[in-house]
Amino acid sequence: MAMLQLENDLQKLTQTARLSNAMEDVDQIINLLTMIREKYAAENNPHETNLELTMLQNPIKVRLDELNKKLRSVHKAQNDFSKSLKTAFGKANGTLPTDHDPMESQTALINRAIAMHLLREGEFGVASTFISEAQPQNDSSRESSHSFTQPSPGTMDSETSPRSPTPADTIITDADWSAFQSQTLQSSFASMYSILSHLRSHNLHPAIEWARRNCTELEARGSNLEFELCKLQFVWLFKGPVVNGLPDTPENGVSGALQYARQNFGRFQSRHLREIQQLSCAMVYSPNLGSSPYRSIFDISLAFDEVASSFTREFCSLLGLSAESPLYVAATAGALALPQLVKYTSKMKAKGTEWTTTNELAFETPLPPSMLYHPIFVCPVSKEKTTDANPPMILPCGHVLARESLQRLAKGSRYKCPYCPTEGVIKDAREIIL
Amino acid sequence: MGDHVGTKLDHENHLLLDQPLLRLPFELLRKNFRSAHFEVEKDGTFVKNLLKETASANYSQTPQEDVLKNLDTMIARMRGVKRKLTAFAEEEDRLYHHEEARVKHLAELYSMYSVDDVKYESWSRTRLDRLLVDYLLRHGYNDSARALAEERGIELLVDVDTFEQMSRIRKSLLNGSVTEALAWCAAGDTKKELRKMDSNLEFMLRYQQYIEIVRSKARTKPNEALAHAKKYLFPYRETYPHEFRQACGLLAIPPGDARSVYSELYSQARWEMLADLFTSTHNTLLSLPPVPLLHVALSLGLSALKTPACHSIHPASTAGAPSHSTSMLLAASVCPICSTELNELARNVPYANHSKSHVEPDLLMLPNGRAYGKARLEEYARKAGLLDGQVKDLRTGEIFSMDRLKKVYIS
Repeated sequence: MAMLQLENDLQKLTQTARLSNAMEDVDQIINLLTMIREKYAAENNPHETNLELTMLQNPIKVRLDELNKKLRSVHKAQNDFSKSLKTAFGKANGTLPTDHDPMESQTALINRAIAMHLLREGEFGVASTFISEAQPQNDSSRESSHSFTQPSPGTMDSETSPRSPTPADTIITDADWSAFQSQTLQSSFASMYSILSHLRSHNLHPAIEWARRNCTELEARGSNLEFELCKLQFVWLFKGPVVNGLPDTPENGVSGALQYARQNFGRFQSRHLREIQQLSCAMVYSPNLGSSPYRSIFDISLAFDEVASSFTREFCSLLGLSAESPLYVAATAGALALPQLVKYTSKMKAKGTEWTTTNELAFETPLPPSMLYHPIFVCPVSKEKTTDANPPMILPCGHVLARESLQRLAKGSRYKCPYCPTEGVIKDAREIIL
Repeated sequence: MGDHVGTKLDHENHLLLDQPLLRLPFELLRKNFRSAHFEVEKDGTFVKNLLKETASANYSQTPQEDVLKNLDTMIARMRGVKRKLTAFAEEEDRLYHHEEARVKHLAELYSMYSVDDVKYESWSRTRLDRLLVDYLLRHGYNDSARALAEERGIELLVDVDTFEQMSRIRKSLLNGSVTEALAWCAAGDTKKELRKMDSNLEFMLRYQQYIEIVRSKARTKPNEALAHAKKYLFPYRETYPHEFRQACGLLAIPPGDARSVYSELYSQARWEMLADLFTSTHNTLLSLPPVPLLHVALSLGLSALKTPACHSIHPASTAGAPSHSTSMLLAASVCPICSTELNELARNVPYANHSKSHVEPDLLMLPNGRAYGKARLEEYARKAGLLDGQVKDLRTGEIFSMDRLKKVYIS
């Protein structure tokens, strides 16, 4: 609750500690001075005014002291707030680990990530400002340890082409990427946002059209987006003009839905027969859907949001991009993992050792399940993560070990499972792809 | 693996990254106060003394116009104080607004208890925007920073003005001018603060000024260089003996001799060094972290998310290889590290450390060696409209009968 306390402290500070409080004294001094000046200029009695000048010294001094006192009180309030600040962050003490900055030499790549982030967030204006601002200084400070190569001519293909084992293929020079890539990326994201805005206003046609154009890829991904969209369109029409606000024509309402189903559902018959059957049966209940067994299908209060998010996901996936901005996920993950790092570094500092960057972080960084994207297998024997070189192996009894562990366990060609009483020969173990 | 540890928000520790956010306006507030105090003190004392002088001098019959002139001076001074104080008060007001907005923003976090909270996402998004603006400003991409801050309505949470001033001075240094940087050192109470932190910035700037005089005028007006050295370098001969000795020797070595040890003093690289020195001094003075916080968050975030699969050479075994021909993407969403934006950037950071396996519940292995969670296999079979008792490999599309699946035990 430290922050709430701080909120109160700050309020106290802003209410009391103000330089403008001292203004009154300055005004007073000016008044005193102007008054005597006028008097002095008007009368010509040097002796009288001389006395007044001498007498003026005191009130001015008092005012000045008062002025300084007010300033001091501002100063004191600021010091108090400084303490509040310290307590507010007190529990999280420990300094940010800034000595070792692996990102320092990666400006070009970070810039690229930021530009793509801005584009995918739909901030096209900011993105183009950024690209033009970040571009010109590609001479001296740029890192040149990688040899950058220009990928194949600038179309979406370069984005989605199969990842080749040679990294050079995916690295693009700082100057080049923005020129050719941002254009295509921007237009893709622009169309994504236009489709999304149609979806938000309950117009499904552009999304359906897009899904139909990309149906092969979507199907290969195991996505039902096209069918889900068509189904929603059917339900939407079914609801009739009262709900959907479309003109009351034969193309709308139950008859419109039926017509739509005839035209469009054919192509889905093999995959979604059951659902299509349900939808057509529901027609029978059209007067009292609410009490029919089909009412759940026709509850579309959340449906538009759902298809919008699954549309975004599929759209990005086809571009080879994750649905959430990776920059956002990574920065959030970083913030979540930071306490562990700070704890670790302060411990290391106390011991006088230093964290040398190896292949793996030296401490665990627990992330929420939504941020685990790959299955992770840690060998129960060696406690190491399996890799391409050391894949997980499944024994005939169903237990899984890393290959190296299995080889170490084995005596000759035979092994004994460390988790159950079975024994076997190594060649019966096989690689498993998790 | 729904362990609870990962989702709960630890507020205090979660704000580690945000300490500088509150620090900066506060430092500026203090600086503002010190400058105001300095001015008031200076002019107040002046007025007090002049008044005393005038009053006592008047006895000995000074002409009336002299007294009037003195009074006018005092009034002008006090009006000056008023003007300056108004400006400082306005700045104070602005800074209070910033600080208030920031504390409020951070306090919002306390109403969230889980990372899965919808509000957390938008909060974290704002944090990313802040980090981005900070990064942009530190790299001198001021227009982008301003545009982004405006677009997201986070002007009060970022320090555009402070950084713009900094990048202006930095740029002038890179263009070979020390004037702006020296003016910065002299403004308000900066000088005192710099001395307190033992900064060599001002000396180095004066030193560079000296080098420039020697470079251009050593032949024609050697006295000028000497005068400069006497005034600005000589007092520091004990603090910076090495530089001082070099400065003396420099007079004898004209620029243009690449072999001499002095050639580096004449080199352009010194300006970059000065620009960096200025930046780091500036940041320390205002308690700004030396590196963009985005770097801190990113490098750690990349590591925390990175698994051996992200840079695997077998696209088939990665969850989300952005490949078209084999777009049998397993995960519902592409992994951020596998995504084009960050893949290359993450190549050189260490992997996350895991002591436990994280796999889907109820793993079943298909005859082709690939394993999937039972629930997902069933769902995919349903979506694909398969017959009962059949499943389909999510990546390769092969169809198998259920009874050929093998249960996998992950310990």
